[in-house]
Amino acid sequence: MNGKLILTLMFICLGGWQERAIAHGANIEYKTAPAIEIQATYDSGTPMANAQVVVYAPDDPNNPWQKGTTDEKGNFRFIPDESKSGYWEVKVRQAGHGGIVTIAVDSLNATGNQQSASQSKLGNQQTTEANTILARASNDNKMPQKLVAIASVVWGFIGTALFFYRLKNYHQNTDKPARQL
Amino acid sequence: MRKEVLGLGSLAVLGTSFLLGCSQNQVPDKDKGILEIRANGEDFVREGFVSKDGWKITFDKLYVNLAEVTAYQITSSYDAETGGQPQATETVLLVPEKTVDLAEGDETAAPILVAKVQATAGRYNALSWKMPTATEGPAAGYSLVAIATATKDGLTIPFTLKIDEELQFTCGDFVGDDRKGILPPGGKADLEATFHFDHLFGDGEAPPEDEINTGALGFAPLAALAENGKLEADSNTLQQILSPGEYKQFQGLLSSLGHVGEGHCHDSLMVHRQGQ
Repeated sequence: MNGKLILTLMFICLGGWQERAIAHGANIEYKTAPAIEIQATYDSGTPMANAQVVVYAPDDPNNPWQKGTTDEKGNFRFIPDESKSGYWEVKVRQAGHGGIVTIAVDSLNATGNQQSASQSKLGNQQTTEANTILARASNDNKMPQKLVAIASVVWGFIGTALFFYRLKNYHQNTDKPARQL
Repeated sequence: MRKEVLGLGSLAVLGTSFLLGCSQNQVPDKDKGILEIRANGEDFVREGFVSKDGWKITFDKLYVNLAEVTAYQITSSYDAETGGQPQATETVLLVPEKTVDLAEGDETAAPILVAKVQATAGRYNALSWKMPTATEGPAAGYSLVAIATATKDGLTIPFTLKIDEELQFTCGDFVGDDRKGILPPGGKADLEATFHFDHLFGDGEAPPEDEINTGALGFAPLAALAENGKLEADSNTLQQILSPGEYKQFQGLLSSLGHVGEGHCHDSLMVHRQGQ
């Protein structure tokens, strides 16, 4: 009976630990997040390629929230902070020319669809919305640590089972009522 | 005794009232701040520059008559392409009318301080101003007067241009290294009316095919008008001497002078000369 108890306890702990061992494998998560993409061009229609970009958040119009440069086509994309609703501002400058566009971000729902209320122009600039998929992966392969941990837990259960077994035998041999614990 | 008590009490009340009144005058309104407006001809005016056709131009005086300089707090951004009146939640008149010299000071001079006023705190992200003909002062009768010198290949031509076209600019947020117009309660902020005179004469340091040069008049058409080694011309004279295409180009370039830093403005030009 006690041997069965020990085996049962070992099965439970090994089974439970196996589930946790599976969790240390690769884990990839993703979520969609709304992005804002701007395109900056000169009045002639020529893209403002490699132009300086500064993004300002609604709660701090004085300090840059993000900096970057446009690509060869004058495009720049950023993902606004979901917790900051209001007017985001994007400033684009190059060779003595520049402009600022204000983008109203009311709220960002769970599916990542942006509700923008207004847009303005920077020369021939167009503001578009796009959904961006972000992916995260985790991988834990520290096997020696896992084995030591498994062995420790198993030995702990064995030790506990042997303690109660010995205690039971002691009380039986001395004909004394079992001590209430 | 009774009288003395009454007298002392009256003095105490008067003194306290006086102190309270003075203190209220000295304590600033917590919801307001100081808003400054500056006019900037940039280094092109302060240091001079080379035109697209190789003339080195330096300004002795460059008077612009500014009127109805107004700052606005608007909720989104002003579209200079479309124009129209800014839909403002707060408006403040900074300058009723004043003539300033953009060439004042030396090469290191700061942008010209036109005025400073007390204004409600907030973000002033739009600016407008007019340039009517002045009724008095160094630019009387004109909206813009330039007294300058052009030099090329050893030839020097002093020239004076007196412009009576009336201009109007409505602009959005300042575009530059720093942000302007963000006025905190009890604090200070500034705005700037910027004038890009390289649009008129071009920039010799930029490639010839650059838009700044392809659209500019340059100085050569004006140099051709010089008599006895100098040129003095007003808008009427220029219209008579320049070709119709050149004068139309000149007027268009006047309309493009106004900026807010690098930011564009919606512009308009009016002519009140007889026969116009």
